[in-house]
Amino acid sequence: MSEPSLSITTSSILSLEMPYSEQLCIRRTVYRGGDGPRAAIVSGIHGDELEGIYVCQLLADWLEQLARENPAGLAGTVELYPAMNPLGLDTLTRAIPVFDTDLNRNFPGSPGSDLPRRIAHAAMENLSGAALVIDIHASNIYLREIPQVRINTDFADSLVPLAERMNMDLIWLHGAMTVLEATIAHSLNSIGTPCLVVEMGVGMRITPDYCRQLMSGILTLWKDLGVLAPDVELPPPNHFPLIADDSNVHYLNAATSGLFVPVIEHWTDVRKGQLLGSIVSPLKGGILDEVRSPVDGILFTLREYPLVYEGSLMARIMARKRGVS
Amino acid sequence: MSSRDLVLMTAPLREDFSIPCHEIGPAEGIPTVSLVSGLHGNEINGIYILARLTDFLKAVENGAYPKLRLVQRALIIPAVNVLGTNTLRRAWPFDQSDQNRMFPGNQMGETTQRIAYTVLEATRKSTYRVDLHSSNLYFEELPQVRIYDPSPEERESARLFGLPAIMERSVSPVFTTTLMYAWKYWHGQNFLLQVGQAGSIQLDHCQQVFRGLVAFLGKIGVLEGVEVAEADQEPIYFARECSVHIYADRAGMFVSDKSLGKWVKEGQELGYIYDSFNGNVRTKIIATATGLLTGIRRQPMLFEGDLLVRICTKPS
Repeated sequence: MSEPSLSITTSSILSLEMPYSEQLCIRRTVYRGGDGPRAAIVSGIHGDELEGIYVCQLLADWLEQLARENPAGLAGTVELYPAMNPLGLDTLTRAIPVFDTDLNRNFPGSPGSDLPRRIAHAAMENLSGAALVIDIHASNIYLREIPQVRINTDFADSLVPLAERMNMDLIWLHGAMTVLEATIAHSLNSIGTPCLVVEMGVGMRITPDYCRQLMSGILTLWKDLGVLAPDVELPPPNHFPLIADDSNVHYLNAATSGLFVPVIEHWTDVRKGQLLGSIVSPLKGGILDEVRSPVDGILFTLREYPLVYEGSLMARIMARKRGVS
Repeated sequence: MSSRDLVLMTAPLREDFSIPCHEIGPAEGIPTVSLVSGLHGNEINGIYILARLTDFLKAVENGAYPKLRLVQRALIIPAVNVLGTNTLRRAWPFDQSDQNRMFPGNQMGETTQRIAYTVLEATRKSTYRVDLHSSNLYFEELPQVRIYDPSPEERESARLFGLPAIMERSVSPVFTTTLMYAWKYWHGQNFLLQVGQAGSIQLDHCQQVFRGLVAFLGKIGVLEGVEVAEADQEPIYFARECSVHIYADRAGMFVSDKSLGKWVKEGQELGYIYDSFNGNVRTKIIATATGLLTGIRRQPMLFEGDLLVRICTKPS
């Protein structure tokens, strides 16, 4: 009987000529163990989001250790795709530079088309058929988010049970929107490959605690799915998600322009009427507007970038539903 | 003739900003036609055309053209993305959002959603609605009328601009948040004019579209007394299947001396892709169909798969 093995290989799923001299490569690392299910992690679709890249690093470290200490622990295959938009990450650009387009609005892509749609197509070709894909996002540079999974209601029945095991703090069920049909998650879910979208933290930064929290949830889910062997020991989940949907999420948009200065920590309980922060005038001094919670609930989104225009989103609060503690 | 602030908003660190518009023609009633450009701040052709059209209509109102009379009202918004226009940016500069992905908007939503809501409210009741665009920084478009899932009336009216090409398109899911899509919910006719390339003014294209808009205003009864010279050629109506696209099979530098609006023959040489380090020719670009050259790449630095040329074949 042969010794169990865990192979680790890094390869490109797409290699394209650049205008001058260089090649653009979309790289992945594959950890192959037994014949069990295949799971994948995708991050860096937006070039200004780094949280998922750190999660990939944590998972890579963990899998390296598994390869050394318990190679039979990987019962299936894991694929890590840390940087789907490498040009964006290289240039601190959310979209794909030059093309000025959001990669996550170009799915399912096309093999003979332009760069964004080629990347999308290569991603779909390689990810389809996986037992689970997790697409990790980090909000944007403006808003900080608690660790959460966002799920289109069209796919809620199959995805919510998976999301509940992810060690996240929130599951946000959102209605179907046609513009989101061009995302990687919608495209994969539409062909029967389950894909969960994680949003957490803030753009251009990493939040190590959130990353470790998600990593723990991903390992739990992989074990549930049989990607990891039953004897792999994991810490039990210590976060259990609340459920939000379009009926209990309140948006706080700026009534005027200025500098938004919060007086409250992110991810706290708030009471109706409680002061969350103020919009102040850098030009004249003084308070232009006080921002107060419209409901009793949980502050799950808080503005990180302080300048606001009229209409800028400052916070999102999930009202407590009856029965939700 | 009056100008007013369509949108007036506070700004965090400078004076309040506005999105001004012109309302020209008889004071009473809803504008018969709404003309919008500059949803993308760096698409300057449309801004130039509508600013010059405003000056022309103002002169008509003031009697500078005795044979012409403005008998119906027109709303003109030369630039919606004012901050983008002043900073030469396609997107709304503050949060990089695309103003033309924010419709139908929301009165209580994000800044660009509020702007979208106001623009839609101001324009939706017009019988005719026209949105001018200039492709992007990379690709030059022959002046053309685009109609989306058109009604028979829109198909017929598209000819009134006298532009060389009319292109029919269906609305893809990605475009459900555009102004054009939002307009389609309302009674009336909707047209998108593509004019040249973003980032600069291509004067020939602008003059052609300016004349086209004056002709259109004449034929829909907004401007009386317009005499339209016979066009050099009838507009040609191109369905989507008439478009032949040529993509770059290699990266490098694309150089072409071809002008839009010319007919090309299958097999004709259209340009070259050079290796931008070694200088050698990588690919000679050959027309794969006979037809009208309606679009060509002008920014030379190519990735594999970039669109180089669009040829529209003559409908049979």
